[in-house]
Amino acid sequence: MTSPKTALLLIGSAKPTGSSTSEALGNYLALRLQERGIATTTMHVARALRTEERSATLLAAVDAADIVILTFPLYVDSLPYLVTQALERIAADRTGQTRERRPLFLAIANCGFPEAVHNTTALAICRQFADEAGCAWAGGLALGEGGAISGRPLIAAGGMAHNVVAALDRAAAALAAGQPVPEEVATLMARPLIPAWAYMLMGDLGWLMQARQNRALTRLAGRPFGRE
Amino acid sequence: MRATLLNGTLPGDSFVDAVGVALADTLQAAGWTVTPWTLRDEKIAYCLGCFECWTKTPGLCRIDDAGRDVARSAIQSDLAIFLTPITFGGYSSDLKKAVDRIICLISPFFVRIDGEVHHHARYDRYPDLLGVGVLPAPHPDQEKIFRTLIDRNAINLHAREHSSMVLYRSQEPAAATAGLHDARNIAKRVPA
Repeated sequence: MTSPKTALLLIGSAKPTGSSTSEALGNYLALRLQERGIATTTMHVARALRTEERSATLLAAVDAADIVILTFPLYVDSLPYLVTQALERIAADRTGQTRERRPLFLAIANCGFPEAVHNTTALAICRQFADEAGCAWAGGLALGEGGAISGRPLIAAGGMAHNVVAALDRAAAALAAGQPVPEEVATLMARPLIPAWAYMLMGDLGWLMQARQNRALTRLAGRPFGRE
Repeated sequence: MRATLLNGTLPGDSFVDAVGVALADTLQAAGWTVTPWTLRDEKIAYCLGCFECWTKTPGLCRIDDAGRDVARSAIQSDLAIFLTPITFGGYSSDLKKAVDRIICLISPFFVRIDGEVHHHARYDRYPDLLGVGVLPAPHPDQEKIFRTLIDRNAINLHAREHSSMVLYRSQEPAAATAGLHDARNIAKRVPA
């Protein structure tokens, strides 16, 4: 592939702009690509699918990109509905058509479990999509403990994100050279941000604090759909 | 015995609908009560990822639509069937929209299961899980992904028993009933 000039960042989180870990990861990578002279466009899948006109804009943006980066949160072991629908539409649009471009496709999944391995199935689905949609698979990056970043810009996340930052720096270098992301980058990305026990403790405390704020502490174990 | 059948058929796909009918007929003939959901016809909003079903209205999604009814139907069943055209190895978007909304059935708190971290159960018992995927033709990579996805969902949704099968469009839709006999606990209740 000749040196890429354009990249499309697709953010698959349904959360408001500026509040998702998916966006934090994608924004950091987009900045690194911009520093290497690559023009980046960012689209939120939730908004891009809202009307047929916007969907058409999304499909055109994919066609125009040399690099497509999809960042998303793990939902029930796979991609969220919105991302699944977007990939269905993109694949349907590209299947059976001769395209000038075969963009590099990088998928970045993050989950709320300590182990990044939970994302494996979702990334395998992304790879199948790339094959069907005529994209060149550039790799899949899996992050566990996404809740520790909690939507903050990676720089603000401090030292615990240093492996993530290093991985995305190296991913940017590979993509800018028109190459897939090396496997060791995925290994680096998958390293825990903090020890699992600490993440679990903080996570459980976080749920309790949120429930307390919502005055739901005594109802946390509720079973509204108990058998009739 | 109760079964909830989540049919993730995309519009215009009569084959997958026919598979759903064959599954429901077989279960009903064996005395089961089947609640079929043709998800493309239901008004189900997508999950917002707000986690209010864990921390504000525990066990209940803030969105009051058919997504709630699907979750209720599933947890009150002995068997949940995920029926879908296989999409890149995974579920169709219509099935995924409903599946995303059932996280209210589990607890936010962490628990280790076989050395891996998952979420605690909210209820005492959960339905067995049967995944039935449809492909145009054999595709080992996609079939492996689909079966793995069902395996993973079974862990996270606390299914005691689970099984998966893949059908091809060259087969008879009724071939899907073989899937009902695959899972040990399911097979006990569905005479061959």
